[in-house]
Amino acid sequence: MSAVDVTRRWFLASLGSAAVATGFLPGGAQAGPLFGDVSSRGYSPTLWYEISGDGRILVHVTRAEMGQHIGTALARIVAEELEANWDHVEVVHVDTDPRWGVMITGGSWSVHKSFDQLSRAGAAGRIALLEAGARMLGAPLKDCVARASEVRHGARAISYADIVSSGSVTRQFTEEDLKAIALKPASERRFLNRDAAARDVPSKVNGTAVYGIDRKVDGMVFARPVLPPTRYGNSIVSWDDGAARKLPGYLSTVVIDDPTGTCQGWLVAVAESWPVAAKAADLIAVSYRSDGGAASEDQMLAEGARLVENPTTGGIFFQEGAPLMRIAEADALHEGVYRTHTVLHMHLEALNALAWQDGSTWHVHAGNQWQSVTLPLVAEALGIDQADLVFETSYLGGGFGRRLYCEYIVPAALAAKKMGRPVKLIFARSDDTKFDQPRSPTVQRLRSVTDGRGALLAYDHRCASGWPTRSIVPEFLAPSADGHGTVDVFAINGAGHLYDTASQRIQAICNDVVHATMLPGYLRSVAPGYTTWAVETHIDELAHKLGRDPAEYRRALLGAKGRNGGAAPHAVGGANRLRAVLERVLEKAGWSAREALPPGKGMGLALGTGQERDMPTWIATVAQVFVDVSSGAVTVERLTSVVDAGTLAHPDGALAQVEGSMLWGLSLALFESTEYEKGLPRDLNLDTYTPVRMTDVPELDIEFLRNDHMPVGLGEPGVISIAPAIGNAIFAAIGDRVCHLPIRPEAIRAAMGA
Amino acid sequence: MISFLVNNVDVQVDAPGDTPLLWILRDWLNLTGTKFGCGVAQCGACTVHVDDQARRSCVTPVASVAGSAVTTVEGLAATAGDGRELHPLQAAWIEVQAPQCGYCQSGQLMQAAALLGETPDPSDDDIRNGMAANLCRCMAYVRIQKAIKLAAQSQNGGRK
Repeated sequence: MSAVDVTRRWFLASLGSAAVATGFLPGGAQAGPLFGDVSSRGYSPTLWYEISGDGRILVHVTRAEMGQHIGTALARIVAEELEANWDHVEVVHVDTDPRWGVMITGGSWSVHKSFDQLSRAGAAGRIALLEAGARMLGAPLKDCVARASEVRHGARAISYADIVSSGSVTRQFTEEDLKAIALKPASERRFLNRDAAARDVPSKVNGTAVYGIDRKVDGMVFARPVLPPTRYGNSIVSWDDGAARKLPGYLSTVVIDDPTGTCQGWLVAVAESWPVAAKAADLIAVSYRSDGGAASEDQMLAEGARLVENPTTGGIFFQEGAPLMRIAEADALHEGVYRTHTVLHMHLEALNALAWQDGSTWHVHAGNQWQSVTLPLVAEALGIDQADLVFETSYLGGGFGRRLYCEYIVPAALAAKKMGRPVKLIFARSDDTKFDQPRSPTVQRLRSVTDGRGALLAYDHRCASGWPTRSIVPEFLAPSADGHGTVDVFAINGAGHLYDTASQRIQAICNDVVHATMLPGYLRSVAPGYTTWAVETHIDELAHKLGRDPAEYRRALLGAKGRNGGAAPHAVGGANRLRAVLERVLEKAGWSAREALPPGKGMGLALGTGQERDMPTWIATVAQVFVDVSSGAVTVERLTSVVDAGTLAHPDGALAQVEGSMLWGLSLALFESTEYEKGLPRDLNLDTYTPVRMTDVPELDIEFLRNDHMPVGLGEPGVISIAPAIGNAIFAAIGDRVCHLPIRPEAIRAAMGA
Repeated sequence: MISFLVNNVDVQVDAPGDTPLLWILRDWLNLTGTKFGCGVAQCGACTVHVDDQARRSCVTPVASVAGSAVTTVEGLAATAGDGRELHPLQAAWIEVQAPQCGYCQSGQLMQAAALLGETPDPSDDDIRNGMAANLCRCMAYVRIQKAIKLAAQSQNGGRK
């Protein structure tokens, strides 16, 4: 068996080493130094929080808040082990500082990745406070308990505030000390798996929450970009702002001369107000020299179709046994090709960035999911040392992956440099969409061979798409498992399903026509958003071909053999937990009664284990649909999902994420897509790009299987089983299948031969 | 100078008359709770009230509101007239923990307030249809709908 050994751990380890080279230290991971900062401000047993003399517990959050209530979830983890009084806990979203280490918010990693670190940090604080508190109470340590920000001995108690303000807590911890701490048994938990109101909500209902677009600084001017005709290969031959100069309030046009090559042929129109900058940008006449890619959607898909059939392409993500031999010898081969069209982020807060210089330090205020990648880029563009650049933190008006690689900060910073004053660059919606980092079109070919009883003897999955990592951080591409070429694991994750398979090969293929035309990005649910669509459609086809109930067939394949049996602590139980959510969803959705549904209605099932095998969130979904056979219109009547995400740091937030992600999945299944024309998306605004609205929302029935296992991801996994469940339900309803996303009425009519 | 009321305060603005009200509120008057989303009245993030009607401020020229009363999310609570810090809709929004990223929520709240103004006891369909033009990209629709129901009940209960 050979697998790309680049999983999340590899990725983050690489990030860590790259970070050291650029002056970042991985947070709390360096050997040697002691943690336990006793300062006038209070006590800080590790980087991750400080307890001030008045008892407030300030939890330092390095993850971006973009709708997940992440500060609340992370603070609950600290509070649990610290035995804090929740009312004393505050969430502080920190700015970039090398001491925080890698700053990234993506991959549905935040809670999972922080869990152990924050738990140990909390426990260290409890230990230190217990020791100091026992001393102050004159009581034996073994007879004291910590609870609700107090150290208690019988009826006597001393508050954390009093302990800290007395200066008597001095305990420091080595990395080894932190590792050696025994965390509380689950039976002693008081915070995790229990609800609390999210700390960010009140400011989001009264207009006081500060997003990137809301910040102001003195002397600030406004700007809008003037974009070249395509993403790549443009330079400016000449430009004329004669018409713009007639606008009162217009200031100037800045040519973005970008040493990083990020902005190729950009101008920025600057004015005293954004409406004037916006108008001016439309009035500037530019002539370009263009030799960039300007492919159409069809050309990108045709290239994908060619690539999946070309045996010489692709890197191996996973291989076990010799599936190709079995496939070559098979009497009966089941083959399917599955496609998805381009989809856009359409985060509601249009791209923006405010940049200014204050003395020798440059400041940027902009929503940001991956400061550790964008900050070095902006520093390089400005020609300054990274130590002289600070990114402020704000709330994000939607991230969804678009604010991971924040290349849009570069033109703001360069415009501010040229203008010699603070510049707030705001993209008009059409600008934002033109240079989105979309989920590229994808083409996948799956081939499988079964024995007479349906066991998977051979399985071959080839997926051609854009590789976001190649464009954004190519040094993080993984070597192919056979040593030849590379793999973007973020373009193929999710293909490694948990069904027992005797031999299999999974390959990712980079579509160069995509890369010449767009900057393919990470979009909520990333690869599992399309790989799971292909896998779960294919398995459903197999079940029907074999005359098996799709639920019973899946159950039979979930034997939890070999690597499908899971691994501790992140994937305890493996396929057994997937089987458990499957059984429960069948019960909840009334699967056994599906044959009794009236004509035109059907139920479909799909399983998901996003975002990756190393961090599976086990989900089973049943969709119930009605298909109007004359129009091809699909109405999703009900979506039932059962989710096992291990321990829930903030259960109500977890539920909100699943609610939203299921509807995001519905949106990708039926409502959202665009097509590239001459190198740009055809749909530039929300008049023709049409995500789910309130009128499209079906009944949602959601249940978490609760346990005390390691928490896993929640921001994205809820998306991935929705589209295949709907596709499979459509097949159940009408006996015809559509194998490309989104499923439009015309495709249904075509599938029915109408 | 263009004069109008914003959240019950007289304002005078020196700006070209075709400047969208959205930017006047955000950048002239520092009321940044009202958000820029699409710029073409398709998402609803910029919804405010002009003389108690929900309007998309991104396509409303400021000259057109001369002499009118504009209400933004910052002034919503005061419109309830009960002296509380939160409008019943805002209280309901917190009760059900409706916002995710929150960016669209000012617009959702203003649209919902207009809806309840016209239909104090809305059915589920009234809510869905009344709110269909307000996009929530996080798709927090289930909770928004629930919050509107809850606010309607508390308002109606309050009148009884």
